Amino acid sequence: MTSNFQAKIEGLQYDALQIRRNVWRALHGAGSGHMGGSSSAADLLAALYFHYLRQRPDEPEWPGRDRFVLSKGHANAALGAALARAGFIDDSVLDQFYAYQSSFGMHPDIKMPGVEMSTGGLGHGLSVGLGMALGARMQNLDFRTCVMLGDGELQEGSNWEGAMAAAHLRLSNLTAILDYNKVQQSGRVGEMLALEPMADKWLSFGWAVREIDGHDMGAIVEALDALPFAPDKPSMIIAHTVKGKGVGFAEDSYLWHNNLVTDEVYERALNELGAPE
Amino acid sequence: MNGAQTPEWERLAENQSRLAFGLAVGELARRDRRVVAISADTIDLFGLRGFLEANPDRLIEAGIAEQNAMGIASGLATTGMRPILCGYAPFITARSLEQLRNDVAYANQRVVIGAACGGIVLAMAGGTHHAVEDLAIMRNMPNMTVIVPADARQTWHAALQTEQLDGPSYIRLGGKFAEPPVSDSAGDFRIGRADLMRPGGDVTVIACGCLVAPAIAAADALAKAGIGVRVLNMHTIKPLDRDAVLAAAAETGAIVTAEEHRITGGLGGAVAEILAQEQPTRMRMIGMPDEFAIVGPTARVREHYGLSQTAIMDACRALLA
Repeated sequence: MTSNFQAKIEGLQYDALQIRRNVWRALHGAGSGHMGGSSSAADLLAALYFHYLRQRPDEPEWPGRDRFVLSKGHANAALGAALARAGFIDDSVLDQFYAYQSSFGMHPDIKMPGVEMSTGGLGHGLSVGLGMALGARMQNLDFRTCVMLGDGELQEGSNWEGAMAAAHLRLSNLTAILDYNKVQQSGRVGEMLALEPMADKWLSFGWAVREIDGHDMGAIVEALDALPFAPDKPSMIIAHTVKGKGVGFAEDSYLWHNNLVTDEVYERALNELGAPE
Repeated sequence: MNGAQTPEWERLAENQSRLAFGLAVGELARRDRRVVAISADTIDLFGLRGFLEANPDRLIEAGIAEQNAMGIASGLATTGMRPILCGYAPFITARSLEQLRNDVAYANQRVVIGAACGGIVLAMAGGTHHAVEDLAIMRNMPNMTVIVPADARQTWHAALQTEQLDGPSYIRLGGKFAEPPVSDSAGDFRIGRADLMRPGGDVTVIACGCLVAPAIAAADALAKAGIGVRVLNMHTIKPLDRDAVLAAAAETGAIVTAEEHRITGGLGGAVAEILAQEQPTRMRMIGMPDEFAIVGPTARVREHYGLSQTAIMDACRALLA
């Protein structure tokens, strides 16, 4: 590993830490929120926004921009934190989570700069991203489309319509990233409605699949840099993650899918995450 | 028509709104490279076989998967494409309703939805294939324009005029049989403006879709009895032509609405919502009751539920009694 690469990874890890700290900050301001799925996605979002996606924060409608759709819209606190850090929105917006007339609600709103689609209803993002990827191909544009999926939302059948169609249409400019934290609102995914074998499902649908540790920044960057995984297939990155990653008491527990954030909880969470240098 | 030659699109449409819509897709695609058709296994239902052969890269076949088709349409629209989704009314409004609400209406994307076999066009198929709540659903979608053309000619013009809309639109279409033409091909049609089909000062019939022709026939029959029936073709359910409704209420004092839809939440509901607040007016609503419709030949089932000239005449007389 070169020192340049190592410095890059450390920088992205720092970005991820800032996203996590701002997730808890936003939730604390709102009084509650989805810390679990926002924290599991933080490393992936950091790699996307600060390494992979070609975007212009000062020109959010730039036609050539890569598209990112947060299909698991309940992780919007993490998306907002990434968008603020990237410069799409002002940092002060993070203190407006759930606030009266705010553009920063529980779920992404297309009216917020940098948000490509309003999401929140589960099982929507893959089809919308598929349409974006088609739009690129039909207009000979070279932008790439990434959709972040949650594991729980894969229980919605619409995802599998999208999975079928994306492979049928050979959309190699479409990437799905699964934040596979294995916990949903009411319990463990495997106990609620099992999804395994995950990789085999996507392979059988005609996708090119890679599995990584979704908290290993080096592995995330290497996977993103290897896209597309096949010249004529959509790519799936199955990122194994930990719900609530970074805050021990909230990790791997459905109780911290969406919970209250008191002053005391917020202080404990920040202590666990560690202060930024 | 003044002896002018029948336009090619009108000849090819054979008085079927679903074919007129498909032909308009081709015309829109000729005008604008961004236009793309999306089929949900509906290529022949919309007469798109020729379009597909001439433009193989401008038609996306989504298969029997309306949820995905609706999401694709939204995603395409965000990139500046002009997607036209061609579906069955009962499925595209119900199966993919959440995609329609979230991805299309909430995100306010320029998606045109053509919905064939609206109402009880597929009466023989049973309640799974009836679309008699679609207008109530679509009317409750902010940003959505909702159109029920009265014939193939209006369908052509309505589809072409969606070019001017900034948001999504829903156009309800018929099935695989001819619909009697009630408008002229020249295209005086304007989205959002009711067509005055017959003047009259005693009572107004506000109709849409396949009820416009019976409404005109009812007015002509009642005219012979000295009753002046105004007939409005309210092809645009949303935004509703409020001025035409309020003028009819003020000038005729009695309103009959007629639609191939449940009487809850459709055209009649839209008219009543305005009148109840602005100008309470005696009304009768012709439409389907709160039940799943019987099976049978479409014409016979329409008669069964009083979607007819006779029922419209009876309603007019009742209001004047």
